[in-house]
Amino acid sequence: MLTLNHFLVLGAILFVIGLYGAISKRNAIAVLMGIEIMLNAVNITLVGFSFFNQTKPYSTYLTGQIFAIFIITVAAAEAAVALAMVIAIYRKRNTVDVGEIDVLKF
Amino acid sequence: MELLYQYSWLILFAPLFAFAVIIFGTRVWDLQSRPLGEAPASQAEAHVVEAHGAEGDEPSAHSVSGEHGEHGDYAVNPLDDDEDPKVAHLTPGAVVSGYAAIVIMALACIYSWALLLGSLFTGTLAASGVALISYDWGVPGYTIAFHLDTLAIAMMVVVTSVTLLVQIYSQGYMENSAGYARFFSYLSLFAFSMLVIVFAQNFLVIFIGWELVGLSSYLLIGFWINKRARPDEQRPSPASASLQAFVVNRVGDVGFIIGIMILFANTHSFDFAYIFGHVGSIDKALLTTAMILVFCGAVGKSAQVPLHVWLPSAMEGPTPVSALIHAATMVAAGVYMVARTYPLFAAAGPQALGVVAWVGAITALFAATIALVQSDFKRVLAFSTISQLGYMFVGLGVGGDLGRGPGMFHLFTHAFFKALLFLGAGSVLHSLHHATHREVQDMRQMGGLATRMPITAITWLIATLAISGFPFFSGFYSKETIIGLTLERGDWGLYIITLGTAGLTAFYMLRAYILAFGGRDGALGGLWGGTYRGEGVPHESPPTMTIPLILLAIFAVFAGYWVGFFSYVQPGDPSLNIPGLLGSIDTWVGVIVSLAGLGVAYWMYCRLEPARLHAVVENNALLRGLHRFLYNRYYVDEFYDWLIKYVVLGLAHVAQAFDTYVVDGIVNGAASLVTFFGSDLRRVETGRVQSYMIGFFGGAAVLIVVVIVLVTFVRG
Repeated sequence: MLTLNHFLVLGAILFVIGLYGAISKRNAIAVLMGIEIMLNAVNITLVGFSFFNQTKPYSTYLTGQIFAIFIITVAAAEAAVALAMVIAIYRKRNTVDVGEIDVLKF
Repeated sequence: MELLYQYSWLILFAPLFAFAVIIFGTRVWDLQSRPLGEAPASQAEAHVVEAHGAEGDEPSAHSVSGEHGEHGDYAVNPLDDDEDPKVAHLTPGAVVSGYAAIVIMALACIYSWALLLGSLFTGTLAASGVALISYDWGVPGYTIAFHLDTLAIAMMVVVTSVTLLVQIYSQGYMENSAGYARFFSYLSLFAFSMLVIVFAQNFLVIFIGWELVGLSSYLLIGFWINKRARPDEQRPSPASASLQAFVVNRVGDVGFIIGIMILFANTHSFDFAYIFGHVGSIDKALLTTAMILVFCGAVGKSAQVPLHVWLPSAMEGPTPVSALIHAATMVAAGVYMVARTYPLFAAAGPQALGVVAWVGAITALFAATIALVQSDFKRVLAFSTISQLGYMFVGLGVGGDLGRGPGMFHLFTHAFFKALLFLGAGSVLHSLHHATHREVQDMRQMGGLATRMPITAITWLIATLAISGFPFFSGFYSKETIIGLTLERGDWGLYIITLGTAGLTAFYMLRAYILAFGGRDGALGGLWGGTYRGEGVPHESPPTMTIPLILLAIFAVFAGYWVGFFSYVQPGDPSLNIPGLLGSIDTWVGVIVSLAGLGVAYWMYCRLEPARLHAVVENNALLRGLHRFLYNRYYVDEFYDWLIKYVVLGLAHVAQAFDTYVVDGIVNGAASLVTFFGSDLRRVETGRVQSYMIGFFGGAAVLIVVVIVLVTFVRG
């Protein structure tokens, strides 16, 4: 029997995996992938909450699912922009190592 | 008559009009028509040089303005130690400036006499006065308002008459001055400033006039901007004297303005009549404080102890200016202001008028003792003015039922004989300047002038007798009234001080007369003529100078016979009772004291040999010390020098240190603290996105843990 907790635990595990990837990977593409995983972890949580909440009227209990669709859209746009930036940075500096992209400081 | 009253504001604005005509019209003409050496200098250049002369004290500035200033290229007499720039002859522009000022002032003078005689004989002027101009600029309470009442008329007559005579006299006295036109414009401005005070209907206007008088006196005392100080004669430079007058007056004005603010805060009005009507609503102790503060302004303006130091210094101005300041326009302002606000003083606690009377009495005695030993001709007169002003304040302070009458009466009579004394002194100085080509003010270099300048001498003698309270001269009536009033009030301290001062006054005035005009070998037992101790041959001054003297001498004798003065300035008062005055014993006590003073002066300076007198004073340690103490004016100037130098400047240094180290320290310290932490904290900003991410999520995790712990352990 699937309960809300299963969804939440899955979301949390995915989120932490994504966070680990975003923080520890040196490759910018891998960092982006980590961020995508984090976004999808949040999506799972939202959809799970939405699915298990049957007490609200129809117009409101779909909110979580609509949010998830929005996030998928935004994530797609974000991926497009981020990849374009990664390519631009690579052309400029010949590297995609986030450890070396540190010009924006004091 | 009603129409005559309604248009009396013309008197107020006449001198201002004269000032404008001279400054914008005839003086420009004067400057442009003056040959300025090779290069015809423009108006602007003349102003530049003049300003240069005003600021510089160094010798180069002197030579520049002396030779090329607004004064043309006339050679300065090398014997002339007076550095005031001269012209060989006045331009038409300058002469017309003088005439413009005199004609306009003469019209104003005639008008004010018409007002005086008209209101005196028809009695149609209401006691509350006539409102003339009232301009409200939109803020309630702040009104520029002028009005006319009998007190104003009495003062106005003095102001316009003395100013007119001084202006006529100045034609002779300033005959070669390069700043002739400027001088007359300043005299007109001075008269206007004083008339603003005279016509003022509220405290706001009187304060504006008050400051205008300060400004005009500043301009006139410092008229001879190029003259240097004379430390050997203890004389400051006119420039510093004018600054001193201005600054010392500011000290008094601080009290004045605080007093006005207290009154305004409690009645929400500056208007005299309104405040008089609502005086009951003010707390009595507060009102007393306010009136004593208002009196502080009068102390400054009327040169009472301890703010008297500017008046002897103001002697550095041209002598006609001294006459104007001492008789009508400057020092009289303080007395007039107290008389104007007299109902408030009367409504306040007895301390208010007590302070007025005692400050006056102490000043009278203090200044009279200094005047005993001064050797500078004008400085004796300066201290005699301070002393007589003290009498006026005593008169106001002990007025009682007579109110403002006695003090104003003494102001009225004093104006004429003091103007006469100063103009006579100016006549002497002018004539000695022609004789010696130097500026001589020391009485030890005069003597025996009576036979050489008889008109000046006889008029001066009349003024001397008037100020000494000699029977049947004007000063006798006003002064004996005041002395009698102190006795009537039973205040023995005031009585003895005023009585003693009367004797001292008689002594130093006759002493000055004998030193200047008489001598042991003169006629009439030494009173008329004698040995002249200076150089050259002095002659009588021109008629433009002697005619004002004669006119003033007439007033100096007869001004005291206006017996209705008290009831005129304060309706309902009794007239001066001459038979009563003559029949009272204390009057004759006063006369005997005055005669004793005259007699001692006569004996010491006409009978004794000067060398023997000198020897007696020099051989007696007490007398010598006393003489030195008085000659140095109780060392008050030195005390103020010390006070400014060490106490005021010391406090200023402490304040400056506080500002530098504490205030600036806090501000700079805050900045350097931020810089200190910032320089270390900036290392946190690495530019690496992932380290930010760690911080962000790590921080979020810490917050979550904190919330969970709080929720679990605190609530649960």
